[in-house]
Amino acid sequence: MRHPALAPILAAILLIGILPGLAGGQWVKIFTSTTCFALAAMGAGFMYARLGMVSLAQVALMGVGGWVTLRLNHAANLPFEVNLLIGAFATAVLGIVLALPALRMRGLYLALITLMVAGAFEVIFTAFQFPNGGAGFWGVGTSFSAPMRRPLLGQTDAAFLRYALAVTALGFLLIEAHRRTAPGRAWALIRRSEAAALASGVNVTLYKTWAFGLSGFLAGLGGGQLAASLGLLDAATFKASESVLLFALVVVGGARFWFGAILTAVLYRVAPGLLNDWGVDADLALIFFGAALLHAVITAPDGIGGQIAALFARRAPHDRA
Amino acid sequence: MIVLEDVTVRFGGLIALDAISATFAAPVSGIIGPNGAGKTTTMNVISGFLTPALGRVLVDGSDLLTLPPHRRTRWGLRRSFQREQIADDLTVRENVLAITDNLPLGRSAARDEAARAMEFAGVTGIGAKMGAALNTFERRLTDLARCVAGGPKLIMLDEPAGGLSPEETGRLGDLILRIHDFCAARVLVIDHDVDLIQRICRETLVLDFGRRIAFGPTAEVLDDPGVKAAYLGVDHA
Repeated sequence: MRHPALAPILAAILLIGILPGLAGGQWVKIFTSTTCFALAAMGAGFMYARLGMVSLAQVALMGVGGWVTLRLNHAANLPFEVNLLIGAFATAVLGIVLALPALRMRGLYLALITLMVAGAFEVIFTAFQFPNGGAGFWGVGTSFSAPMRRPLLGQTDAAFLRYALAVTALGFLLIEAHRRTAPGRAWALIRRSEAAALASGVNVTLYKTWAFGLSGFLAGLGGGQLAASLGLLDAATFKASESVLLFALVVVGGARFWFGAILTAVLYRVAPGLLNDWGVDADLALIFFGAALLHAVITAPDGIGGQIAALFARRAPHDRA
Repeated sequence: MIVLEDVTVRFGGLIALDAISATFAAPVSGIIGPNGAGKTTTMNVISGFLTPALGRVLVDGSDLLTLPPHRRTRWGLRRSFQREQIADDLTVRENVLAITDNLPLGRSAARDEAARAMEFAGVTGIGAKMGAALNTFERRLTDLARCVAGGPKLIMLDEPAGGLSPEETGRLGDLILRIHDFCAARVLVIDHDVDLIQRICRETLVLDFGRRIAFGPTAEVLDDPGVKAAYLGVDHA
């Protein structure tokens, strides 16, 4: 690849331009949800690759973004974009709050804290469900469901897929902008060692909190878009086990590469869909994922993304991953 | 002027530093001593990674111990570690910018400072190389560029010549001697290489088991029978 920025731009144009036209019926929905999960995977991936922090609450945070977006949709007559952004910011704030007790933790202990958070949200979502236009704070009605508004540019399923892909591309750009500037450099030092970061004048608390916030923001965006795509959300989508599975697939997809998040989401959403299409039980995908995770841990620490990058690097030795 | 005043550090029952006092006035000074003498502990106190039980650290009149560690960088403190801390997934230039990012400089001033520091350390030519691709000497030079970036006042180098060949150590020594003229910072060097210390440090503090056993002009200190005994492990009675 002569210009490193060329591949992602080409991929975005191809996906946004062609995919919604090619995919039919159920597949448009599956690709839309894949796109939403790619945003969340991106957040978990950059926390893991750039800071070495494991977050096992990413899907639960999507649920939070989805909840806030739905709640606002049924409470006020604001445009979808405003609801989506408020949902994402609320999730970012929640991510930051969750980061505070986790700041002194690293490795396994941090992962455990995030897992407990995911468990807590699983309980909350199961107990209170997602707003569907009912009365009261929780907004859950039993006998009806009010419509979820979509963005003006995404009224049909195919148009909404295009819309979601564009938002996801913006999410990628947001992370890339961070990676290339002061926060990215500070994160790289924190990952190297916190002592080195402190000795370089990095405010470790600030930048770790910021990372949690950014990761939460992306998860919130994904959750809000998922809500708009489906119109309703189901507590089963945001179980703690789903957060763990998504993280495992982040490792398989390759957290260090921008296309790793896409691979992760494709594995997470498209693989079970394909199995369904072939008339095979979609849970078989879990066995396949387990094998893939073992393969990644043992032989490909940079995941499938790393293997693809190595393939291109062999062709163009001076390219930077 | 770097003043250590009765700096005392205890780890449980172990006294890691026992009321260490010294006043370094030279542009480049050294701290030597056998393993476990308290050299790195001293550096960690100055960096703010350890809070001493007692004592003060004054540099040009500022009391460093009142600042949190990351603020000391902004004040003008820099340090390197025994194992150099170059981020593998950043380029040499980004590694230097990671310091100037945190200084109260504008964006272009930060870039200029980083460029000047890289020029000084002789790493401008490898500015776009990734940290992971650097050899030991290039890593040490990058570390030095990080230390001199952004107008430092005090630079502490913890075994800067670790893993270097004699020729590379010589070149690094020359660079360290030029630091004071380049940015007016004082330099504290810890190293096991007594030849290097003798060549570049005008004053040297010798520690052994957390106690100060000698301090003064390097040549005199190294001639001290107590220092020889501590280093060679012989009884000098």
